[in-house]
Amino acid sequence: MSFEQGLQWMTWLLCWSLGLQCVEYLRTQHMTSARGIWAWSVQQADIPVSNPGMRSLLDKLYSPAWHATHLWLRLCVVVSMGVSGVNLGAVMFLFVSTLLILVRWRGAFNGGSDFMSLVVLTGLLIEEVLRVLLEPELAAKAGLWYVTIHAISSYFVSGWVKLMRPEWRSGRALTIFLNGGVYGPLPQHSLLRHPRLAMLGSWAFILWEGFSPLALLHPLLALPFCAIAALFHGLVFWYFGLNRFFWAWMASFPAILACSGTLGSPF
Amino acid sequence: MTGVGRNAAKIRRMSSRLTLVWIALYFLLLLLTLRWSSKIIRGPWLFLLRAFFPNWKFFHAVGYVPHLYVRHLGPDASWADWHWVYPRKTRRLWQLVHNTDVNLALAEQNLLDHFANDLNDLPEGEDARQLVTYQLVDRLVRFDLDRRLGSGAWQSYQFEVRMERSNAQGIEATETMLRSPECTA
Repeated sequence: MSFEQGLQWMTWLLCWSLGLQCVEYLRTQHMTSARGIWAWSVQQADIPVSNPGMRSLLDKLYSPAWHATHLWLRLCVVVSMGVSGVNLGAVMFLFVSTLLILVRWRGAFNGGSDFMSLVVLTGLLIEEVLRVLLEPELAAKAGLWYVTIHAISSYFVSGWVKLMRPEWRSGRALTIFLNGGVYGPLPQHSLLRHPRLAMLGSWAFILWEGFSPLALLHPLLALPFCAIAALFHGLVFWYFGLNRFFWAWMASFPAILACSGTLGSPF
Repeated sequence: MTGVGRNAAKIRRMSSRLTLVWIALYFLLLLLTLRWSSKIIRGPWLFLLRAFFPNWKFFHAVGYVPHLYVRHLGPDASWADWHWVYPRKTRRLWQLVHNTDVNLALAEQNLLDHFANDLNDLPEGEDARQLVTYQLVDRLVRFDLDRRLGSGAWQSYQFEVRMERSNAQGIEATETMLRSPECTA
């Protein structure tokens, strides 16, 4: 996959992912209303801003009517970027809009998926800013490498921290976490309750995650790596309901595929 | 290929190899940082903008996690049993593209995690009710009672945050971290 193609696919997948997230945000507005759990009247005390002008600006931005307008505008920008392609104005708007939404949800609505969406968006922002100064291919390369390093780091860290924990090495953690999943607990006779199978599953994912940087060496390694990653995120959705994780990480795969093997493969 | 062209290709190859070495060193350093327990830098803005500093440690350790329990005073003026507020949903394939209810339920659990962290950090003798997270969890409790019982079906309520540890069979250890005062509807 060329850098240009990688950029195009990353933009499409990010737009799809952000679009789905935006529709979900629109459906959670009752939770951020005055009667909702995350009412701004309560949550505003969390914001470390003493300037009255800034405070009143935030009060205005997070009022239900403005918040709804913001979300609809965001959805329109996402759709237009998906259809007509990436441009600096749209990416900057989405970047600021993402920050506003993160602050509204006390730093994150859905943890890792918010973080990865921001990584991919930042990659696009880097590419668009550099495109003004450098040749397009170099700008695309910088943006895609930014996303790739973060995406591979996410698997790498996740794998090695598990390897350092005895409960993951024994497979016990897998059963415990699956029992606690939103679609759980596991059925009494589930194969994943079997200690040996749980250990095998744990080790398979620990090794795959821990050796994720190898995917950078050649496209023939990156392709199966991304295919297994899609399966992995599919299983995470299946057991934990984390649909946003699936799409947020999918958006980073074109970057991995475009960057793999561009650094002087040893093969 | 001319001599100049050969040299340019050689420089490009060497530069690529060098970048590969830098990337390998980065991952090695990342691995070493996982072994060190460094001082955690905290601050309100850092908390709100933590998306810029993702640590990518998901589901990494099994241990005590906060659970929310609620009980209510019914119309017959007797307290109901403690109820564990925990999301259990039915899986549907289409939720891969739209899963608002589950994501909200997960956000509720995240809120509880932050509340437990805030309680841990609360100086001795301070009133937890001043915490923003306390007030948000209190609203969550009211929301849960309305959702489960219907509004008007409860007069008063009380909630507890318990730190609980699970094994493969279920919850194996529990400690009460906080019990709220009795609150009225």
